[in-house]
Amino acid sequence: MVSKSIENMPEYVGNTHRGDLVLPEDVVKREELIRGNPTFHDITETVCKMAQTPFSETHIGWRVGFAISLSLAIMFFGLIAYLIWEGIGIWGNASPVFWAWDIVNFVFWVGIGHAGTLISAVLFLFRQKWRTSINRYAEAMTIFAVICALVFPGIHVGRIWVIYWVFPIPNSMEMWPNFRSPLLWDVFAVGTYFTVSLLFWYVGLIPDIATLRDRVKSRAAKIAYGIFALGWRGSMRHWLHYERAYLLLAALSTPLVLSVHSVVSFDFAVAQLPGWHTTIFPPYFVAGAIFSGFAMVQTLVLPARKWLGLKDIVTMKHIENMNKIILVTGSIVGYAYAMEFFIAWYSGNQYESFAFINRAFGPYAWSYWIMVSCNVISPQLFWFKKLRTSIVVSFVISIFVNIGMWFERFVITVTSLNRDFLPSSWHYFSPRIFEPLFLIGSFGLFFTLFLLFVRYLPVIAMAEVKSVLPQANPHEGHHS
Amino acid sequence: MQTAAKITDDMKVPSKSFWHKMPIIAFMLGIMCILYWVTGFKADPHRAMYGYLFAFICVLSIALGAMFFVIIQHLSRAGWSVVVRRIAEFAMWTMPLFVVLFLPIAFWAPDIFPWSHIETGDVILENKASYLNMNFFMVRSAIYFAIWLLIGWWFYKTSVGQDQGNRQEDTRKLWTLSAPAVILFALSLTFASFDWLMSLQPHWFSTIFGVYFFAGCFLAGMAFITLMLLGLQAAGILTKTVTFEHYQDLGKLMFGFTVFWAYIAFSQFMLYWYANIPEETEFYMHRLQHGWEYVSYAMIFTNFFIPFFFLLSRHVKRNKLGLALFCCWTLLVHFLDLYWIIMPNYGAHGLAEGAHPPHASIHGNDLILLAGMLSLFIAYVSYFVARKNIVPIGDPKLIESLHFENA
Repeated sequence: MVSKSIENMPEYVGNTHRGDLVLPEDVVKREELIRGNPTFHDITETVCKMAQTPFSETHIGWRVGFAISLSLAIMFFGLIAYLIWEGIGIWGNASPVFWAWDIVNFVFWVGIGHAGTLISAVLFLFRQKWRTSINRYAEAMTIFAVICALVFPGIHVGRIWVIYWVFPIPNSMEMWPNFRSPLLWDVFAVGTYFTVSLLFWYVGLIPDIATLRDRVKSRAAKIAYGIFALGWRGSMRHWLHYERAYLLLAALSTPLVLSVHSVVSFDFAVAQLPGWHTTIFPPYFVAGAIFSGFAMVQTLVLPARKWLGLKDIVTMKHIENMNKIILVTGSIVGYAYAMEFFIAWYSGNQYESFAFINRAFGPYAWSYWIMVSCNVISPQLFWFKKLRTSIVVSFVISIFVNIGMWFERFVITVTSLNRDFLPSSWHYFSPRIFEPLFLIGSFGLFFTLFLLFVRYLPVIAMAEVKSVLPQANPHEGHHS
Repeated sequence: MQTAAKITDDMKVPSKSFWHKMPIIAFMLGIMCILYWVTGFKADPHRAMYGYLFAFICVLSIALGAMFFVIIQHLSRAGWSVVVRRIAEFAMWTMPLFVVLFLPIAFWAPDIFPWSHIETGDVILENKASYLNMNFFMVRSAIYFAIWLLIGWWFYKTSVGQDQGNRQEDTRKLWTLSAPAVILFALSLTFASFDWLMSLQPHWFSTIFGVYFFAGCFLAGMAFITLMLLGLQAAGILTKTVTFEHYQDLGKLMFGFTVFWAYIAFSQFMLYWYANIPEETEFYMHRLQHGWEYVSYAMIFTNFFIPFFFLLSRHVKRNKLGLALFCCWTLLVHFLDLYWIIMPNYGAHGLAEGAHPPHASIHGNDLILLAGMLSLFIAYVSYFVARKNIVPIGDPKLIESLHFENA
């Protein structure tokens, strides 16, 4: 028996056959990723403009921003020097809260450093071509965020002159780090992630650096770009190797996107402390990291596309897609919060239940509700197309998410520690002046690096964006 | 750009095809297996009902995996998967079968779930009696099925409704409603796994358990869809429609979820092993004794290392025999995983001091029943295959799917 409806079907389903079979355009056709029909040359011109501007003509906005960021970064290094001189005592950490802003800032920055590799590697494997407009600075952001993150475990060890003890280096004292410690796994996980992300970013940059090398006027710049372009000539063979390397690095980076924040979550989850020790931590931390990473990309890209004239390359579609990812990962984070709460009750364990009731209604309830409203409630506004395609709303929510994700780490770390098993040692932790200054200083370092990147390197992956233009498709215009 | 999709002959099941006989053959086989199982049930109803729960969850997990596949294709506006999506829609809309198959579980639930009789002095169970009690359990189960019936029915109906060629606009509705559907699906699947699996060991808890069950469901669903496609192609159907490009993508997804399952399983195990708190390690302690330790250690290889290295290569994903082997293996080890979750609980509750739970064993009757339920499921799916369009011929993205190539 042959299905009836097939018999009745016309031979063709499509808008070329019959009037009554008009297919909805926006469903059939993929939206153009780049607006305004630019040529290959237009893309090069737009992206290289900033890097080719002589320093004397640099926009005043960039100069002011750079001056502020650099000052803050210098303050950061000054503070670090003072910390090493004076010791960890300058912070408010006190029994039982021995871990506070330092680890919070570390996890916060590592989390932000997730979007770049996710966009470049995971979205690449999923054939999400829209990523080409945002991958370059997302990767740059990743690298700078990981640099900021690495500072904190580096300085909070106290005796920084023996920081090499975290590495398993053979030594005459036969002293080894504890291989069962997740802090050591962190060293490997974040170190690997940083190395591979840097390689990935750099490999992607090579053809674009070569473009700059060929375009800049000053001899010094030519030499500088020339060194990093590694003799790129754009030959067929070069491209072949390049594509192969890119695919391999994407495949290698994908498990790293998951592993880094999973290992960071182990820092907490392997402990027996209620509020830290729960099995959903690894995937929940990964989702949270992607969530915060995309929020930070959004925070950076919304002003950048305006100031650098990239509105046709980073279009509303890109912004909307990123908002959708923020909605999805924000909801996954909400799911994890709900599971933690439900299982804390379901476990029948009074310490587990206490830890969560204390979070929501204890002395730090304010931070818990900041976290919930920023991370779970605010992204839900993106259910409405009107709101997720609004620049202002996107920017405001991205800031909310940044704040919320910082508070998430604060809630996890501090609320679980401040009321431990011994009520006589309970203590309300408050930071001293130095903690906020360290956080602000790390933002200074981050923006210093980011502004240098925006000024001297191509902020858009030109070669990749060109590959998604309609004229790059050899079949374009042929109706078969 | 080509805008018209050609409907080819291979999108129909020929009238003489074996697939027309499949529903009746599979149905008869299923009934025979279940009748055989009933004889075993009479001998030991308690043991047999554990086998029943196992078989039920195994087959249900395939349907749920297929349901997630369908929802996520709409949610991500996927184009490549249109030609394979209908098979998943068939598998998902077998949900009425599971409502019927659940009835014996509902009837014998007090016998299966140890929390139904709380021993005096068991403070933990007394504290959560407001959740783990029979009435609320039944209400929740009804809610899960209501959600799955609703999702299955609506997504199936809307997709099939497009086949006449005049409802292309419905694709936009499918996109819109896939978002709330995925939330309902995630919550119902999570709590169903808590109720039907985790509560078998009622003192034990794990926040990741729902994700663990989900990973297995999706793997099983994908493996089933791929096997159906391979089976149809073996009968000369879909030969021009489904290409190696689609197989490679299905293979990539299964490979990814093999790793994801291992990641979730490792996270759960490692964190409980490391903290070493008795009330949490109970689950693993149980499965590292009385013969279950061999299953536990073997699963590291059967469920991760072997499938991981087998499917790593692109050539295997584009090889029909290789893919078929992988899918059969994946289904088998997924069933093993569920057996390992459910069966150690049999006879492990209310033991006298010093008494041991039964040694690990596989009963023939469990397998017969699994074969029976699987046959009924296949009968249901092939009933659709023989009567409905096996490709969503009215889907506006069909053309994109037909011309899809891995870049």
